[in-house]
Amino acid sequence: MSAPAGSSTVLSRRRPTGGKALLATLMLLVAVASAFPLVWMVLSSLKTTAESMQVPPVWFPRTPTLDAYEKVAGVVNVGRSMWNSLVIASITTAGILVTSMMAGYAFAKYSFPGRTLLFSALLATMFLPPIVTLIPLYRMVGSIGLNASLAGIIVPNLANAFGIFLMRQFIAGVPDDLIDAARMDGASELLILFKIVAPTVAPAIAALALFAFVYHWNSYLWPLTVLQGNADSYPIVISLSRLLSYNRGAMNTGLVMAGATLAVLPPLILFAFLQRFFVDSIVSSAVKG
Amino acid sequence: MTNGYRASAGIMLAPAVTLIGVFILLPMLLTVWLSFNDWSTQTPFSEARFVGLANFQDIFGSTSVGRDFKGALVNTAIYTALSVAIILPLSVLFGLLVYQRDVGGGTLLRTVLFSTYMVPMIAVALVWSKLYSPSEGPFNQMLGLIGIDPQPWLSSPRSALISIVLLNVWQQVGYFTVLAIAGLTQIPGSLYEAATLDGANRTEQFRFITLPLLRRTLLFSAVIAIINAVQVFEPVALITQGGPVGSTNVLTYHIRRVGIERAQGGLGSAMAVMLMLSLVVVVCALFAFMSRKDDE
Repeated sequence: MSAPAGSSTVLSRRRPTGGKALLATLMLLVAVASAFPLVWMVLSSLKTTAESMQVPPVWFPRTPTLDAYEKVAGVVNVGRSMWNSLVIASITTAGILVTSMMAGYAFAKYSFPGRTLLFSALLATMFLPPIVTLIPLYRMVGSIGLNASLAGIIVPNLANAFGIFLMRQFIAGVPDDLIDAARMDGASELLILFKIVAPTVAPAIAALALFAFVYHWNSYLWPLTVLQGNADSYPIVISLSRLLSYNRGAMNTGLVMAGATLAVLPPLILFAFLQRFFVDSIVSSAVKG
Repeated sequence: MTNGYRASAGIMLAPAVTLIGVFILLPMLLTVWLSFNDWSTQTPFSEARFVGLANFQDIFGSTSVGRDFKGALVNTAIYTALSVAIILPLSVLFGLLVYQRDVGGGTLLRTVLFSTYMVPMIAVALVWSKLYSPSEGPFNQMLGLIGIDPQPWLSSPRSALISIVLLNVWQQVGYFTVLAIAGLTQIPGSLYEAATLDGANRTEQFRFITLPLLRRTLLFSAVIAIINAVQVFEPVALITQGGPVGSTNVLTYHIRRVGIERAQGGLGSAMAVMLMLSLVVVVCALFAFMSRKDDE
């Protein structure tokens, strides 16, 4: 007689009304604390300069204005930076999807000598902090002439262990019969992967795409190192970092918050629409791993 | 599983293996090799001159090179320990809040918590630098409302590092909450029913069922949290530049400053090797500790 999952946890049985009120209050507090910085960011971006310098602070702008956003556009090339970020994140994501699906398929569906060893070696790189490879990588990318360019940001990131791991987990669940039937029909392995296997693991592909896109939209250390001051190629996160030094102190609060809001919006919008995939894939990477 | 597709396996693996080999494994080996060499990052690898363990003697020596590195190592250790010590218990608490079914809104809470994980760290750093602002910042204003004196936050050597830990916790805790929820869903409800019949109260159930069965999840979370914590860079690069008085000089920031900005590639690589070794030791110790507990 086991109850359905979730109905029978530590916090859940025969709780008196007072306990429920306490629980609800606690949940509300946590949600408010979590949401506060971003809400404050948006509100501050809509204030006038005078309002953002006022002490004690004004929480809600009396007459919301987009002045701060105009000023951001005057200090940094917002359009260009957003475009650069979009190019970096999209191409990197596309590359990661293709390389991860191919390698994930090989690890899930072929047996070949050294398979476990190779998989473990690749998986180990997942736990390597990027700073460990930064210095030689910077030199390598420079010596093949890719520094100070978008290509230099993109090319080293076109494959990663997390993607391979995730794809292998999900492709392993695709029935062999499905693949064998296609082989009988004379389909090539690449065709089988992209036409037959891919649709059956579409949610995992969506999750990986979103993870990769958000990660590379947000990425800062590598682009900063590779670009070395080439402002034309700056992604939005680097342009944004220059807003802080533009004008120290409370003067620039609105400006900085408007810039931050612009950079935060694309990942948050993606998340709002597709959070189910994000959460599912994290859970599967933790539970199956 | 299919045999006889070795050629296909080669083709399927080639792109990923080549890219990871060239852009991750090769630079990792180069880092190890460079750590035994005197090398300027401005010059080709062929200019590297073998110096044995000199770089390691320098970074652990008593000159400013050694003092700065040891300071960064200690700061990173403190930062990592604090992050893990705060994130893990909070992730379990928040996980229970999302997972319970007495009060609605759990899924909404999960969404709010997890959304911060999508925010670029650079934006987090910018927003929090203003939240922490000593005079007009909202945190000190709110503390004032409940009668607490304004805090110096990022501007004092005593509180700057913990202030950066807090913004990191805010950004990451949602991710670890989702991991905790994944762990909670794995615990069979029948265990709690049996415990209730045996007269165990809620605290006892948490201690003897929930926590032990979450151990694998918590180990995984701890490893990920440690790896994430040593990567802290944006708030330091953007706001504190390692200060005040070196109190937020953490390894990722310090290694980049030495190895890229000052172009001391050999020294920076030796520091990176020490970071890698420290991580291996800490993660192995964690696994050993957990498997010993399993035996008990």
